[in-house]
Amino acid sequence: MLRRTYLKLMSTLVVGALVPFSAAFADMPATVDGPVTISFYNYNLASASAGADATKELLAAFKQKFPNITVETIAVPSNEIMSRVQADIVAGQQPDVAQLVFRDLIYIASDLGANALEDMVSPQELKDHLSGMIPQGLELGKVDGKTYGLAYTFSTPILYYNADLFRQAGLDPDSPPKTWDDVKKAGDAIKQKTGKNGFFPGAYGPADGTFVYQAIVMSNGGKVRQGNTLTFADGDAADAVKMLRDMVDSGAHARIDVASPADTMASGNLGMFLYTSALYASLKKSAAGKFDLRVAAMPSFGDKPTAPTNSGSALFVFSKDPVKQRASYELLKFLTSKEAYTIITSKIGYLPLRLDIVDDPKYLGEWVKQNPMIRPNLEQLNRLTPNIAFPGPNYRQAENMMMDSVRQAVFGSGDPIATLKTAEQAAQDLMP
Amino acid sequence: MTDIQADLTQPMSIAIRPAPSRQRGAGIAPWLYLAPALILLFMWTYVPLVEAFKLSFYQWNMLPTAPQRFVGLDNYRRIFALSEMRTALWNTLFYIIGLFPMSVIIPLFVAILTQDLQGRLRMLYRTLIFVPMIVPPVVAAILWRWLLSDDHGLVNNLLALAGLGTVGFLTDPHCALATLTWITGWKLIGFSTLLFSAANAGIDRSYVEAARIDGASRWQIVRDIRLPLLSPTIMLLSMMTILFGAQWSFAYISVLTNGGPLKSTTNIFYVLWEYGFETLSAGWSAAAGMITFASFAVIAFCCLRLMKRYAVYDN
Repeated sequence: MLRRTYLKLMSTLVVGALVPFSAAFADMPATVDGPVTISFYNYNLASASAGADATKELLAAFKQKFPNITVETIAVPSNEIMSRVQADIVAGQQPDVAQLVFRDLIYIASDLGANALEDMVSPQELKDHLSGMIPQGLELGKVDGKTYGLAYTFSTPILYYNADLFRQAGLDPDSPPKTWDDVKKAGDAIKQKTGKNGFFPGAYGPADGTFVYQAIVMSNGGKVRQGNTLTFADGDAADAVKMLRDMVDSGAHARIDVASPADTMASGNLGMFLYTSALYASLKKSAAGKFDLRVAAMPSFGDKPTAPTNSGSALFVFSKDPVKQRASYELLKFLTSKEAYTIITSKIGYLPLRLDIVDDPKYLGEWVKQNPMIRPNLEQLNRLTPNIAFPGPNYRQAENMMMDSVRQAVFGSGDPIATLKTAEQAAQDLMP
Repeated sequence: MTDIQADLTQPMSIAIRPAPSRQRGAGIAPWLYLAPALILLFMWTYVPLVEAFKLSFYQWNMLPTAPQRFVGLDNYRRIFALSEMRTALWNTLFYIIGLFPMSVIIPLFVAILTQDLQGRLRMLYRTLIFVPMIVPPVVAAILWRWLLSDDHGLVNNLLALAGLGTVGFLTDPHCALATLTWITGWKLIGFSTLLFSAANAGIDRSYVEAARIDGASRWQIVRDIRLPLLSPTIMLLSMMTILFGAQWSFAYISVLTNGGPLKSTTNIFYVLWEYGFETLSAGWSAAAGMITFASFAVIAFCCLRLMKRYAVYDN
């Protein structure tokens, strides 16, 4: 009896101790007054390309502006960062800020306990910061109307092409392929006349996620899922994959290592490469003095408008401590400011999510004049179609099964549509 | 291969049973001595094993906040229904059989044929053959990726020079599995050769001399004296290849192909890692792990029986 009373008392005390914590959620202080350290999980830092240098530059500038806030960076490659964040949360090491990709959005909001900005920041302050950012971009980080991820580094698929290979194949590099039929013709010509690889999309590799694949599917009017029903083997979605398979069969679409098409492009052995603009600075560096690298908009299916999806990431705040939340939010604000996007766009190649800086000579104006290649990418932002994240606790397994079947359909020998159908049925079992 | 010693001792320890104490009440001293080892063994081997067994009946994404949902035999049913699992099992078999020549047959002959080498030459050959062994697996994998790359790899450049065209060693589903088996085996040759050389050197010279006096030829000595006396080592290495061969390929699969192209290089160990840590399906991973555990336990048991029966020891 005594023990029961004791237990009751203890549990009341424990619950009582927890209440201020949940109430503190709205009480983020207005400024950071004392020194505070926050952790920042970032995947750009884990790359050997321009992304790491530019991110270091950004963080150095942040440190100068907020000497009180120390940002401890944890660099993890993009395809592993989600497992790392989860593992650290399980181990009791709460990340404060993490740069994560959109495909995990629903899971991060529902299972990993990321803070919604609306719950953390006062409405006026949030409104002030978000004004001027592209609404389509902000929309991507929302689940049920609340912003869990603040769009950060960001891009759409663009078609990189090697103008030298175009010339050698008797093609006109000044009129790059506009439709998939053009891509097939150009790919066939490059393969036959130069012996080099024609076309490859960064859509199948372990690090690519699904955004290029989804962009192709949605440009043909398909969708990978509708509600909780998977539809990646249906009609237009499957036809898009079949189109890729036909190009593989004709030789226009290369059969190279799915994990490293960017290396093949950088070495000058690939004619056309559909991938994120985030690679622009790195590819430009590799191509300098070796071949004529150019960029075009994503190809379309005949007259259908393309539906470029977003690659890239949003920033998520996980801190439960109000002071750390403030520090984290300051970091978020800084990393999505006009100054930051000037660095991000000009040094890495991601899109600026604040379009008013594009022609502003104070920010990107000069750079855009010298690098008109960013224009097709900017232009595609108007048709931006969100990359569809998978729901439910088994979302990764379901997504994996879809990508396996896409690889099998494109590079395998069986009937592509039947391959997709089988996987769709198996994966449907895993949907909520 | 870092815990090769653990690998070596593990199957042996199965055979050793603690002798029943002769006297009742011999005291707890022996148990105290054994306690640290037993605690570690339970904590790191048997508790996780039981946990994994339990987990294989649940659906869970490894988050402490997420509920573990009991699904009965669903995980087993599902993974058996996946074509990927069948591919993985066949590939596991291919790895094991493919490794045999490089982990047992070639090292055995190299060790026997080079036993008469003297001085520096012997050191040189031993170093050469042992070097792959000390290269870290990930470094080895990356070196092979460069060597075998389709458009700028040295091997393919040489093939192209010879007019043979290029081979997609790691990108062609028909070649990739053989390539990874070769890389795994290449790493193993040195280790196996070393073991065989040591066992060979341990053979009592008087047998060989007696046979020579009787007029036995070199081949007869190998066949009737060396091979039988090497049989415990042959058995041990064969067993290790069967039990661990497919595991040794893990690093190369992970670095070079991620199980692709088209699942052609994946094996059971990679699949269960992928379920567990790539897609966070703890239940599937545990189920795949239990299947692996059960089948390899049966195989290990058979191997030990065979070893007892056929190995010849020089008492």
